[in-house]
Amino acid sequence: MHAKITQMLFSVIDELNQLRPPDEHLAKDLETPLAGDSGRLDSAGLINLIAVAEQKAAAELGRPLLLTDDRTLSQVNQVFRTLGTLADYIHLRLNEQNDG
Amino acid sequence: MEIKTFTVVDLKTALVSEDFWLTKTLPITKHRALSYCRNPRAAEDDPVLLVAYQDIQVIGYLGILPDKIFVNDAVYKLGWLTSWWVDPSCATAGVGAILLFKALNAYDQYIGVSGVSRTARKALHASQKFMALKPLQGLDIRLRLNVTRDIPRRLPALKIFRVLFKIFDEMMDEVVNLRSFFWQQRNNPDQRLTFEYISTIDEETDHFIQQHHQDDLTRKEKSDLNWIMNYPWVLSAPLKDAASKRYYFSSRADRFSYLGVKVFEHHNEMIGFFLLKVRDDRMSVVYSYFESRHATSIIAAVFQHALVMNVSILRLYDEQLVAGFSDLGCPCWSAKKNSREFSLSKVFADIPLANYRLQGGDGDLAFY
Repeated sequence: MHAKITQMLFSVIDELNQLRPPDEHLAKDLETPLAGDSGRLDSAGLINLIAVAEQKAAAELGRPLLLTDDRTLSQVNQVFRTLGTLADYIHLRLNEQNDG
Repeated sequence: MEIKTFTVVDLKTALVSEDFWLTKTLPITKHRALSYCRNPRAAEDDPVLLVAYQDIQVIGYLGILPDKIFVNDAVYKLGWLTSWWVDPSCATAGVGAILLFKALNAYDQYIGVSGVSRTARKALHASQKFMALKPLQGLDIRLRLNVTRDIPRRLPALKIFRVLFKIFDEMMDEVVNLRSFFWQQRNNPDQRLTFEYISTIDEETDHFIQQHHQDDLTRKEKSDLNWIMNYPWVLSAPLKDAASKRYYFSSRADRFSYLGVKVFEHHNEMIGFFLLKVRDDRMSVVYSYFESRHATSIIAAVFQHALVMNVSILRLYDEQLVAGFSDLGCPCWSAKKNSREFSLSKVFADIPLANYRLQGGDGDLAFY
């Protein structure tokens, strides 16, 4: 599942990069910083990432994913620190759905 | 980072607290906070202000204006976003995103947006949660040139020619006065129309508005218009005070006022009501109520007020007033199209909104 999530996030990055100038393209790497002190995304960028990730999770993983609930918003800088931390968080949330 | 949500009750407490006003950046001014607290469409537990704090300093905020929209017999509560700010040094901290999504969650996704900045528009578009409504297509009518104000604004180096600009303006004003004199002779609004000015909505006006607001999306009532007139967000003041230097949205202007104008024809029949907002040298009609057959008389009345109140620009949003202006041949230097954008969140997608009228003061636009 983690590999699928990573693949899904890489396709999110592809879509985001289409709207960014070439010198601001995000690398498809789990270490790519997103939000926080060394983050690469401003507010609009992060909002776009969340919207596209939710859409692609439904389309590519066949699972609904909500990244705008209060639980996620209360830990934005941890969840969105890097692409890897986001992948881990999505994995956790999808597992919780399974358990639930 | 900590996000605090202020409801109306919390804001009332904040108004009398000393600590709330000690931050380097203010998330709201006192008079705007008072206005939020007196909003007749807000419940005591409605969230109206979200503030992001980092080490007790404000790094972002977002105001929310509770309102209602009316479609057929249904009433929907929503919050209009207003004054969305993020400290540029925290641009990548996710503050703007958190504020937006918290606002959406606080109102079960029932959120509206009016007249946004380019940055905010980009962020809202990115969220894919909003749909644009048909924008209001209005007119900016330039009645006086006012180069004394406009040229130094664009080219500060030319400030030294201020006296010359002033002389030029006075000469041009005489041209305007002459053209207006002939226009008034031709149209005789003084002979046909009489006015009554109000600073609060009286019973007659209330009754008149209720007869003419059925097609309005927000169907403003007596209490709403009284609130707008009596709790402004911008104060008339000659200089920036300490608070306005610490707040990043408009809080003062050299001249700022509202004027309610009742229009009568043949001295006794009330044919219209409009609420004017005057900010410095600009006048806007923020709400207007009349029947189509009286549109020409109403625009004549509006235009006459713009002339005597000595404004440079008259801004209209009502399509009947815009059409009436063209028919009336009012003297002006130029008339440029303008538009006001409105968006609602996609939870409104299935609601038939297209036949309803937005007015130039809807959202938070009456207050700026």
